[in-house]
Amino acid sequence: MSALTGTGTLTRFILRRDRIRMSVWTVSLVGTVAITVPTLDETFSTDAQRQARAALMDTPTGILFGGPGYGLDDYTLGAMVVNELTMSLLIATAIMSILHVVRHTRAEEESGRAELLRAAVLGSGAQMTAALVTVALLNLVIGGLTGAIMAGYGLDAADSLAYGLGLGLAGLTFGAVTAVCAQLTEHGRAASGTAFLAVGVLFTARVVGDLAERGGGPASWASPFAWVQQTRVFDDPRWWPLALYPPVVLALFGAAYALAGRRDLGAGLIPSRPGPAAAGPLLNGVFALYLRQQRGSIIAWSVATFLFAISFGTLATEVEGMVESNPDIVALLADASTEDVTAGFLGVMSGYVIMAAAAQGILSVLRARGEESAGRAELVLATAVGRIRWYGAALAVGVLSTALVVVLGGLGIGIGALSATDDASWIGTMLESALSQLPAALAFVAATALFAGAAPRLMPLVWVWLGYSVFATMLGALLGMPDRALDLSAFGMLPQPPMEDFEAAPVAIASAAVAVALVLALAGFRRRDLVTG
Amino acid sequence: MSSPVIDARGVDKYFGRFQALDGLDLTVEAGQVAGFLGPNGSGKSTTIRVLLGLLRADAGTVALLGGDPWKDAVPLHRRLAYVPGDVTLWPNLTGGQAIDLLGRLRGGLHKARKQELLSRFELDPTKKARTYSKGNRQKVALVAALASDAELLILDEPTSGLDPLMEAVFTGCVLEAKEQGRTVLLSSHILSEVEKLCDTVTIIRQGKTVESGTLEDLRHLTRSSVRATVSADPGPLAALAGVHNAEIDGDRISMDVDNDHLDTVMRAVADLGVRSLVSNPPSLEELFLRHYGDELAALNGDKGGAS
Repeated sequence: MSALTGTGTLTRFILRRDRIRMSVWTVSLVGTVAITVPTLDETFSTDAQRQARAALMDTPTGILFGGPGYGLDDYTLGAMVVNELTMSLLIATAIMSILHVVRHTRAEEESGRAELLRAAVLGSGAQMTAALVTVALLNLVIGGLTGAIMAGYGLDAADSLAYGLGLGLAGLTFGAVTAVCAQLTEHGRAASGTAFLAVGVLFTARVVGDLAERGGGPASWASPFAWVQQTRVFDDPRWWPLALYPPVVLALFGAAYALAGRRDLGAGLIPSRPGPAAAGPLLNGVFALYLRQQRGSIIAWSVATFLFAISFGTLATEVEGMVESNPDIVALLADASTEDVTAGFLGVMSGYVIMAAAAQGILSVLRARGEESAGRAELVLATAVGRIRWYGAALAVGVLSTALVVVLGGLGIGIGALSATDDASWIGTMLESALSQLPAALAFVAATALFAGAAPRLMPLVWVWLGYSVFATMLGALLGMPDRALDLSAFGMLPQPPMEDFEAAPVAIASAAVAVALVLALAGFRRRDLVTG
Repeated sequence: MSSPVIDARGVDKYFGRFQALDGLDLTVEAGQVAGFLGPNGSGKSTTIRVLLGLLRADAGTVALLGGDPWKDAVPLHRRLAYVPGDVTLWPNLTGGQAIDLLGRLRGGLHKARKQELLSRFELDPTKKARTYSKGNRQKVALVAALASDAELLILDEPTSGLDPLMEAVFTGCVLEAKEQGRTVLLSSHILSEVEKLCDTVTIIRQGKTVESGTLEDLRHLTRSSVRATVSADPGPLAALAGVHNAEIDGDRISMDVDNDHLDTVMRAVADLGVRSLVSNPPSLEELFLRHYGDELAALNGDKGGAS
């Protein structure tokens, strides 16, 4: 019996068990491509429209969600697909691959099902191999169909094939990263968390590299996110960047097998240690409990925002040169004159910080809702803790962690700008910029608090509002959305230094509204039944 | 007699259009161990959540330790401890940390008693809660509740995840709590447990109280099962008032007799010449099945019931 005995059976079993899940992923991703290609073709039908669109893709936002910008000079349909769709597709296949691999490796071990299977005639490497075979199959089918659809719309067949293959290989690479992460800890959640973190770092590397240099800098080349687009398909095609994927995938697989061979079934390489038998003096109340529950995620959001902010800040001077060569963009960075380009760019970056802080704030307040539906709120509220104290502590943690992310983000942009421009005044300027927008981030904390406190069923509206606000801020001006529609965005309500002057009155009004909403949320939570389950 | 520790009268509770409690009555006197019986979905947990002020009653009056559980939740909760039916804990805290945290939030915990309970329940307090089984999570909540000095313990199916050995430990703990003069509300569907521990029993069905009183009282209201072997033909016995489910096999008869007819039936049996006689008071199971027998019959698709 070899280590691979039973791999075939297990592979078929995974295909059977996940037939719906895998089909949904395939249909939705391939379907997105099938719908987007003709839509892009129709929306941008003239050369002038396409080049205007290309100018947008040459902005920091365009690069963040687009790529290194190959093909922008002659923005044909193929180039458009590659620039506009690749990142969304890669992020989706990354999420899909991470979930798939964890589901069929670590999560199986954690649940004990792996034990049942391994007790049968099954090789020790069969489960991981089956997971990897299926994740490869899934990604290559999605990539292949994508390429076929693009060729079907009349795009160059060889370029379409290279692009589809690149997508599939990139997705497989994320699966291989996950296979390594799954060896480290005992728990499926921790494994997918580690893998998401790793993929996030790789994405950031691509963004930083692409922002630093047209066509991508060294940081881009370190990331599998970049290699698909480095084939320059539909522009000046070259196949060799795709050759980077197989050795990386094989090396990661090798590492995963080597690590798996060194540990027991169910155990992690990082063993879970017993904890203290008694609570320390700090764990003495609801606020402390919340802080402790969210410690990891608050640190992760703060550090990630801080690092993102620093790396964007360092681009302050690069952007000036980039923008001077393309005056069209100046209009996009608010109504600033050319000398304000740096300020405009950094202002846009500070807007991203506020968006991140808002998302963090929503998630933080939602923890309270999670505690409630899991039944832990019941346990605590049956002790001498009142409703107001319990929910108030949750909201306090939400407000404080959001403020922390905002301050670190503003500080980070300032530090980055300082390193690029040698001008220390940026630190104060960017802190002011971020802090003057703090009420906009807190508006989402307050809205979440209000819904979770008084009307849990309406909670999804908060995400809709955040999505709309992000969309309107990033693309509203470009799409020519009317002012009235733009005013509904939380991020457009307050004047934003350094492009605009700080004004106390709107900030005070917004802060007061946030405070009122928080009080109403507490009152609402006090009056309603606890909803468990 | 002092006022009852729990006094709920005519409590209604709706979830949307679904009526979970329908004029429910529940009274528990100080120092008693009160059994609260009913199958899943009959409204036991909803009642307990109303008593804890987690849900607000739509109608009726609820008094807990002399206060209003919705308005006076915090001061009342200092005097009680609660073990939910399905305990969820914070996955990244150890059992020991969770016990201390719950103790501190209640306002105090006896350290020595906690240690003693940990060893009696054989619970390892250094393990992270995410690694605990259902039974171990229940033990965490039980230790936290029993190590407090609460005068009222509200226990919602506390033994559903415990093995028989641990059930015995639990039984011991509840009896000790009773000796200390504490009041216990024990919701359960394990009849033998209730029979062993409880002074009074309240049986609910579809949010309504259908029986309540001491076990003794309840038994008087119901039937005894009688088996007899007589010298003459036992046939006429089956026709007597108060006799049910009579089965005759030659000179032997087994029947259920309404307790208020027991006297006349026994005289009739004696007149036939008794050779052997066994009479059992109804078990709690029989009491329970009397109220749920029709549901059981519907589930089985025939006439079910206690044998």
